[in-house]
Amino acid sequence: MLILSYLHRNLWRNPLRVLMTGLAVGLPITIFVLSVAVVDGINRFLDNSARQLRLAITHKSSIVYPLPAGYRAKIEALDHSRPITVCGMRWIGGKVDDKPQPLSTLAADPDTFPATFPEYLTDPAERAAWDRDRQAIIVGRGTAAQFGWRVGDRITIRASVPPYSAIPFRVVSTAQDVVDPVTLFCRGDYLEEEVKRQGYPEGLVSFFFAKCRSPDDLEYYRTAIDAYFANTPDPTLTQDEKAFMSQFIAQQFDLPRNLTILSALTVLVAVIAAANTMSMNFRDRLAEYAALKALGFGRLLVFALIQFESLAICVSAGLLGALGPWYAFTFTPLRRLTLPLIQTLDVHLSVCAQAVGIAAAVGLIAAVWPAWAAARLRPVVAFRALE
Amino acid sequence: MALPLTYNARHLLARRLSSGLTFLIVAVVVFVLALLLSFVAGIRAALGATGSPRNIIVLKPGATAESTSLIPLDDLGPLIQTPGLAAAEPVTGTSAAAELFTTGRLRPGDPLLSPELAVQTMLPRRTGGAPANVAIRGVDDIAFAVHAEVRLVAGRLFTPGAPEVLVGTAAQERFAGLELGATVALGRKGERPYQVVGVFSAGGGALESELWAPRTMIADSFHRRLASSVCLQVRDAAAVAPAVAYIQGPAVGLEARPELQYYRDLAEKTREIVVLTSVLVGIMAIGAAFAVATTMYAAVDGRRRELAMLRALGFGRGAIMAALLAESLLLCLLASACGLLVSAAFSGRQQDFLSDTTWTVLAYELKITPGIVATALLVATAVSVGGTLAPALRAARLNVITALRKA
Repeated sequence: MLILSYLHRNLWRNPLRVLMTGLAVGLPITIFVLSVAVVDGINRFLDNSARQLRLAITHKSSIVYPLPAGYRAKIEALDHSRPITVCGMRWIGGKVDDKPQPLSTLAADPDTFPATFPEYLTDPAERAAWDRDRQAIIVGRGTAAQFGWRVGDRITIRASVPPYSAIPFRVVSTAQDVVDPVTLFCRGDYLEEEVKRQGYPEGLVSFFFAKCRSPDDLEYYRTAIDAYFANTPDPTLTQDEKAFMSQFIAQQFDLPRNLTILSALTVLVAVIAAANTMSMNFRDRLAEYAALKALGFGRLLVFALIQFESLAICVSAGLLGALGPWYAFTFTPLRRLTLPLIQTLDVHLSVCAQAVGIAAAVGLIAAVWPAWAAARLRPVVAFRALE
Repeated sequence: MALPLTYNARHLLARRLSSGLTFLIVAVVVFVLALLLSFVAGIRAALGATGSPRNIIVLKPGATAESTSLIPLDDLGPLIQTPGLAAAEPVTGTSAAAELFTTGRLRPGDPLLSPELAVQTMLPRRTGGAPANVAIRGVDDIAFAVHAEVRLVAGRLFTPGAPEVLVGTAAQERFAGLELGATVALGRKGERPYQVVGVFSAGGGALESELWAPRTMIADSFHRRLASSVCLQVRDAAAVAPAVAYIQGPAVGLEARPELQYYRDLAEKTREIVVLTSVLVGIMAIGAAFAVATTMYAAVDGRRRELAMLRALGFGRGAIMAALLAESLLLCLLASACGLLVSAAFSGRQQDFLSDTTWTVLAYELKITPGIVATALLVATAVSVGGTLAPALRAARLNVITALRKA
């Protein structure tokens, strides 16, 4: 008990120094939490893709070249013993007139879309609206929040590729439980009418998504599809959905890798800041530690005293630094902040726990040298060195 | 009277561990700041160096970039009537246009109106990893007069109607298999061999990330009968507005954008990095300022007697504060110089990024610009002053008598 009270008093002997060290550790921890939350968001996105047993089939030369819509029937007929659901997608990008933000709209085959993307349209009413209304459009929850769209709203989107026209839609779902918060899906047959009306080539899709029944089927189709179309005018490239998605992420500043490096650097800053304080504390209290040892307190106790002090400062700072962003991104208007790809930043408590763990490690590492020096301190030498 | 600078330098050396740790923190913060900003500077330099104030890019209305724009060739007819449309004037020198004039492929008076076809191909990066989507521009001879900044740095121009391709300097550095004389497979199926016959530069601009080939050949190889965009030049900058109005009007009905603005809009993406950098470095800088403050407080507390002695000798409060400030400035500026030096080692490193507007990659170099150096030094100064002000005030307010007595 005495030791605890000693520890407590030591901690508050120089409140300013404790406060500043706390901030110098807590702020980097905040950065760490934010970086990890972004990387986590991206990984969740990719992991979700990996679980879906979906293949993405694009043109071999480049994703921007279209494939004939007729490939769908050929893929479905490849092997009847291995059922596969194929959904053609035509990318039309899109923009709302007078708004600068580009949209990511895909026109999907209406019949196979619900089976290929079972995470969408889980509500029977939404599903019925998709089947019934040819103007139906599913809007990602992030995009819906950004533009203030609700189910039932009539919206107009101008395509950024042929047919280039402003197309009216009706929102049937805002995909609340889906990982991807940005993409919009409309009906391919409806788009096709517009393409026809504007006089652009029909019967083309940007890529296909194919849902397999088992990992074994997935492996089979990954090679079988490309082999089948190898000698046609439009050869294909088949990838699983995760590989398909990661190529875009890797080419845009490689965020997961760069943020990981950045968070490592910030943790380094925190370690240095805490080490600085602890070594100063040690120098200030040289006489005290010498006295403690002269009185007969053991090495272990002196070592533990310094370690615990550092731990206490860093863990409290880490708690504040980690809970700050958690609170901000869970309960304040920052919740609606939009980011590329992951759209909304979810700061999970598990990330916070990880950050506090790192803060604790920072505290322990920072105090290793002073604690060890104090433990090794020879009272006689230390007393003599003092004035 | 001020204290000599050597006094400060020696004090820093006296507290080696504490000074060294603070030095490291500031150096890391400056390093991160400079590195993040060098991405932005590189991209902006590449996109900012592209285009002429007299050029206008014509796109299909609704299209966001050349690569998503398709214009039927019949729609291009009315563009010849664009008010203020410039005519080619013979040029001499080293530009590609000059060579075309001497060989008679371009004649004075040709309208500066260049229909272009933007397609793309996948090429492996020299550094390995996923292949990159590289832009290919199918151009007619007139394109070299409209994009006057394009210069041949090696090899020769392509022959019209031949499967030959020119590669930009940035593309050649960044992507594999583009050496002079090499054969690169292009086309819708990637089955048409094109020979690399020349290398061109474009004033450091975005065009240097591209491959250029005869438009008719690209149209055939990629099964594209349409044009993607038209780049036209008007007589002077004042003629841009009427020309844009004409093109967007009912006579033509296409979208027209000044070329400089088109590339500036593509640089919009970098704004996100600037915001991210400011937030991250801002937080790190505050952390660093507190670390500096801890060190300086210790510096003040550790030499109360000494400072009191200085005051007793006749050094004023101002001189004491200035001395402490100089001490921390010395430390922080040295540290930022060190951080900048490390980040300068990354300068010139080739990078590329995939634009989500054009779906093609832009190759660029990390750049440490004078502006970045100034920003880094400014941040280091702010960290230093912010961290030292409170300890310096405490030192200045020191009660001389008590401090001297309390030995």
